[in-house]
Amino acid sequence: MNELTKKTEFFGGCPHDCPDTCSMIFNVEDGVVKGVRGNPDHPMTRGGLCVKLKDYEKRHYHPDRVLYPMRRTGPKGSKQFERISWDTALDEIVSRWKTIINEHGPQAIIPYSYLGHQGLVHGLNGGDAFFNRMGATVCERTFCGEGSCTAWLLTVGPTAGVDPESYIHSKYIVIWACNSVSTNLHHWAIVKEAQRSGAKVVVIDSYASRTAKEADWHICPKPGTDGALAMAVINSIIDQGLVDQDYVDNYTSGFDALKGRASERTPEWASEITGVPADDIRKLARELATAQPAAIRIGVALERHHGGGQTIRAVSSIPALTGAWRHVGGGITQFPVWEHPYKFDVICRPDLIPEGTQVVNNLQIGRALLGELDLKVPIKSMMCWNSNPVTQAPETDKIVEGLKSDDLFLVSAEHFISDTASYADIVLPASMGAEMEDMILSWGHLYLTYNAKSADSPGEAIPNNEIFRRLAAKLGFEEENFKWSDSECLENYVDWESPACEGIDLEYMRKNGFARLTVGTKDDRAPHKEGNFPTESGKCMFEVPGATNFVAGPFRQMYDDLQPGEPLDPLPDYTAPRESPATNPLLAEKFPLNIISPKSHGFLNSCYANMEHKIKGQGEQFVMISAFDAEARNITEGDRVQVANQRGAFKGVARITEDVNPGIVVATLGYWRQLNTGTVNSISSAEFTDMGHAPSFSDNLVEVTRTN
Amino acid sequence: MPHIVTDNCQSCRFTDCVSHCPVECFHEDDERLYINPDVCVDCGACIPACPVQAIYDVVDMPEDKEPWIKVNAERSKNLPVIMSKQEPLPTAERRRTELGL
Ligand code: SF4
Ligand code: SF4
Ligand code: SF4
Repeated sequence: MNELTKKTEFFGGCPHDCPDTCSMIFNVEDGVVKGVRGNPDHPMTRGGLCVKLKDYEKRHYHPDRVLYPMRRTGPKGSKQFERISWDTALDEIVSRWKTIINEHGPQAIIPYSYLGHQGLVHGLNGGDAFFNRMGATVCERTFCGEGSCTAWLLTVGPTAGVDPESYIHSKYIVIWACNSVSTNLHHWAIVKEAQRSGAKVVVIDSYASRTAKEADWHICPKPGTDGALAMAVINSIIDQGLVDQDYVDNYTSGFDALKGRASERTPEWASEITGVPADDIRKLARELATAQPAAIRIGVALERHHGGGQTIRAVSSIPALTGAWRHVGGGITQFPVWEHPYKFDVICRPDLIPEGTQVVNNLQIGRALLGELDLKVPIKSMMCWNSNPVTQAPETDKIVEGLKSDDLFLVSAEHFISDTASYADIVLPASMGAEMEDMILSWGHLYLTYNAKSADSPGEAIPNNEIFRRLAAKLGFEEENFKWSDSECLENYVDWESPACEGIDLEYMRKNGFARLTVGTKDDRAPHKEGNFPTESGKCMFEVPGATNFVAGPFRQMYDDLQPGEPLDPLPDYTAPRESPATNPLLAEKFPLNIISPKSHGFLNSCYANMEHKIKGQGEQFVMISAFDAEARNITEGDRVQVANQRGAFKGVARITEDVNPGIVVATLGYWRQLNTGTVNSISSAEFTDMGHAPSFSDNLVEVTRTN
Repeated sequence: MPHIVTDNCQSCRFTDCVSHCPVECFHEDDERLYINPDVCVDCGACIPACPVQAIYDVVDMPEDKEPWIKVNAERSKNLPVIMSKQEPLPTAERRRTELGL
């Protein structure tokens, strides 16, 4: 049906860190990718991509692309490299690693990767088997959504929840802490369709994002206080007698305890904390309970403050209280990936991890490199791919200091000399999307997505997985998985026998480019109509007795030892942010403004922020500030300003706007440090939130000053 | 840095662009469409959809189209939003032929 007729067209899957995982079509002439477009047959992609990917071919052939293996010749960070051969590069890496292993053991080496590529073969977990076999330090990777995962798994289990496509049937849609217009565009198009058919669209966000401006109702809690809002919604649903008691009695656990906990979390109480009027909270509660089907789409940002996990436990309890799950298009959506049938144990091979292997969390890599963590074995080498911690991780000044150390041997597999690769001892040229076969996981829809090798890599670039194959051979790793071709990996990594894959195999994927998982259709899927939650009890768990903290397996190489493990509150509640004028007045005396750092509309994390025409489209680093705060600081529109706190500083251009309330500034993420003065993460804290070792990117106080 | 509709859309108004747009940023008057620059997300989906090549990305357009940036910004503010594909104006096919497209 979707089969491509012209030989010059190939199916692609967008490999970027975006829930939409668009199905694409590469147009290839004479072995060169000439253009890319959205697959018109894909029900979510619908023929369109986004501002980032619409000219993806230009990224493939950008003049700054790393084409050959290189060795550092100047001081670290000088970006002086010389070209070397693949053999020399790999021999040098292996010999350095062997020396380190002899002296300190394999745990002195750490892998560092994330979702810079979302492929099953070349993405997040692509190097896990290799480093697990080596016995390297396990890298826990919790950039984005892992606290949310912990809270979600505790409350409702590994369910995909509401199909994002089923929102077409929703009558009430709450988008909570997600700027869909910029980061979930293809879901937004569905939400708009529902709105045209009469659904009310509510956006909850601490500033007037592009998405909030398009909503029927924008609710604007102070940063980090969404948990108070959620608890008061629970209170008010109960108080207004809007609980679906039959649903609660049959399909949930811990209602009485939740009711007790929520009894003091009144709308008036929450109003004080959030700044949202109590009557608005009551109205939200009433509408959420009565306008069915009601669907809640939570964004990654909801976890980014101290109480993030608890917030998500509270929010994901709401649809079971109101019985929204009874309806198609009713309930809540976190990451649909939970129902994708991937064999993470085969991909990651946790069975190869030596007992007692230490874990370092990627958000705290700066602290690890500077010896601030209590590690059994200090880190002497890091291999970094699919990730760029110098712009993306918090406390970046520490990371840079750590990377500068002569004691650290850094290997980067990269497309460009990123802010992190700038400090590498060896840079390896990595293939880009169109240049390698893979299947791309999605945390935003219920389709498998295929990506064909559509063109050869320029220069001597090779796919990530080929890098690990070659390194494994040089290190004498005998396990057969290190010899699998990319196609064989795909055969082994997907559970093709699972019920969700009925009628789908790799051949089907190659022919069609994508496949809808057989987990119900958008028009009939109501997975928890009669409970059936994939929790131990089969119920939605308002209360989880004996719960302890953990990070979901795929984000820690499937290693289950040495989990955080501290006891968690059995019930959801509001946990205040660490850094806000209300909770830390002493710090707020020096740094009175809360900063939020969402993704830039025109960049994808730090990808594209080095390409001139993308920078032109996105504009330079800006700092959104209210007129009230600007005036108090003698700042006028367009002034150069510095944003700083005890951790670091960055510079930007002041944009005075009503889109942020007094007390709040917004600066978007992704700008390169080497092209700017600092980046937003220079000021971010590497402290974890309450669950899943999630980042606290929205829990930071700063001061803004004029510099011109 | 939005997308803009330019002169080619004159007395044509095929609205294929609208059905490809993931947001609601097209506005119409009797002659043509205009894109609201504050709502356009720059996804580029409308460009190949337009049969008369009327739409440009501001970052990447011929200089003589520049006046259209202002026209789109101003006109779109006061005109109704158009949400679904409509019948082209009766003059549409003639216009396409005139343009040699
Ligand atoms: S970044 Fe997201 S919206 Fe853009 S093409 Fe990739 S998956 Fe689609
Ligand atoms: S498709 Fe092109 S010509 Fe038709 S209405 Fe849209 S912009 Fe105008
Ligand atoms: S670029 Fe995208 S958002 Fe802008 S008008 Fe075209 S289709 Fe709509």
